Amino acid sequence: MRLSKSHDLPGTLIVVEGVDGSGKSTQISLLRDWLVSTVEDVIFTEWNSSKIISETTKKAKKKNLLTPRTFSLLHAVDFADRLEQIIVPALKAGFIVLADRYVYTAFARDVSRDVDPSWVRNMYGFAINPDLALYFHVPVEISLDRICTNRAPKFYEAGMDLNLSNDPYESYKIFQGRVINEYDKMIKEYGLIKIDGTETVHNQQVTLRKIVTEVLEEKNIRV
Amino acid sequence: MDKSAKKISEHGYPGLLIAIEGTDGAGRSTQIELLRDWLAIEGYGVLISEWKTSRLIAKAIDQAKERNLLHAYTFSLLYASDFADRLEHVIVPALKAGMIVLTDRYTYTAYSRDVVRGASQEWIRKLYDFAPKPDLVFYLKMPVEMLLKRIIGSSGLDYYESGRDIGLSTDFYESFKIYQRKILTEYSKMEKEFSFETVDGTLPVDALQSEMRKKVKELLDSGIIK
Repeated sequence: MRLSKSHDLPGTLIVVEGVDGSGKSTQISLLRDWLVSTVEDVIFTEWNSSKIISETTKKAKKKNLLTPRTFSLLHAVDFADRLEQIIVPALKAGFIVLADRYVYTAFARDVSRDVDPSWVRNMYGFAINPDLALYFHVPVEISLDRICTNRAPKFYEAGMDLNLSNDPYESYKIFQGRVINEYDKMIKEYGLIKIDGTETVHNQQVTLRKIVTEVLEEKNIRV
Repeated sequence: MDKSAKKISEHGYPGLLIAIEGTDGAGRSTQIELLRDWLAIEGYGVLISEWKTSRLIAKAIDQAKERNLLHAYTFSLLYASDFADRLEHVIVPALKAGMIVLTDRYTYTAYSRDVVRGASQEWIRKLYDFAPKPDLVFYLKMPVEMLLKRIIGSSGLDYYESGRDIGLSTDFYESFKIYQRKILTEYSKMEKEFSFETVDGTLPVDALQSEMRKKVKELLDSGIIK
């Protein structure tokens, strides 16, 4: 399916991945500002934001109604909708598409919830293979420190549905530790580019822009 | 009867899972109601679960369909979410409790619809690989001409049921005919593969029902359920 081969659309798809608190949203936001100022045709999309299903998912999360499989399927619905409504049309029109989280988020999180890895990979097989997938790596302690400067870990992000620990902080560390482990495995499997998320914001952004410039040059886009 | 020789369900639950398949207008819901009444009188606990009825997702599907917004994969995944939710919250608990579960449509509906909408057979089957295998699948078979009359005479033509979203024809009636014919072809391909118990949907309601009861009775007599 599409995910296993390069796309031949005129646009460029750049995705950022990593656990919460890895700094990826900060970095993609800086990247976006820079690209908008130079090439203009940039579109941004983020995980679980489609109109048709994100409300349902949020409601279900509040009631803790979701089994890992339904959880996984609902996120796939959201993704499919955004892919078909936003990402594919933009790529066809030659845009640079920046995605905050992509299929690798599902692969990392759902497998950490004991969903079968080949099942979830098959499900997302219709996704477009990105031109660049950046993975912001941080140790789980740093992720937790950054998340908890202003709040406690939430039920699902702490993996509380898995009964790993009654303490949300402890549960977060176990669950997100698993997620990081799954991401690490995907560096090789999908050629994710690993960025050290413990570096300063500026240094990371400099690294990022260099990589992005190279990818865009291959598509004959000057930045 | 020798208890040790008792037939065991492939799904491994004490209950019984019977799926009723067929396109719209094939008479599925009428037959299911009649089966339920009969089984209840015979003293069995019965539960009916219909396609697209999970509390969580059914509404989202209707809203999206109203806006004619669904692309093929989104469509497939929404239905799979509905199915997973019903399976985990309704169907499996009932099977564990030893009930007879009658499902109005099952995974085969998705296999036929989604393939007609362009999904690969391999993809859609893997997507539903978590579904327990039914003990019996009835397929209410109907020729397309009769289906057309039944649907036009009752609910009228629906956008998705006519396959308008996949652009088969700008003529509503033509589109409907092409779409339903494709669906029927997919069902036919599955008859053997999944050992459908094919029944003639053109039979009068009572005649069809007694044929179905006969098959269910055979299954019950095999000692598959207590």
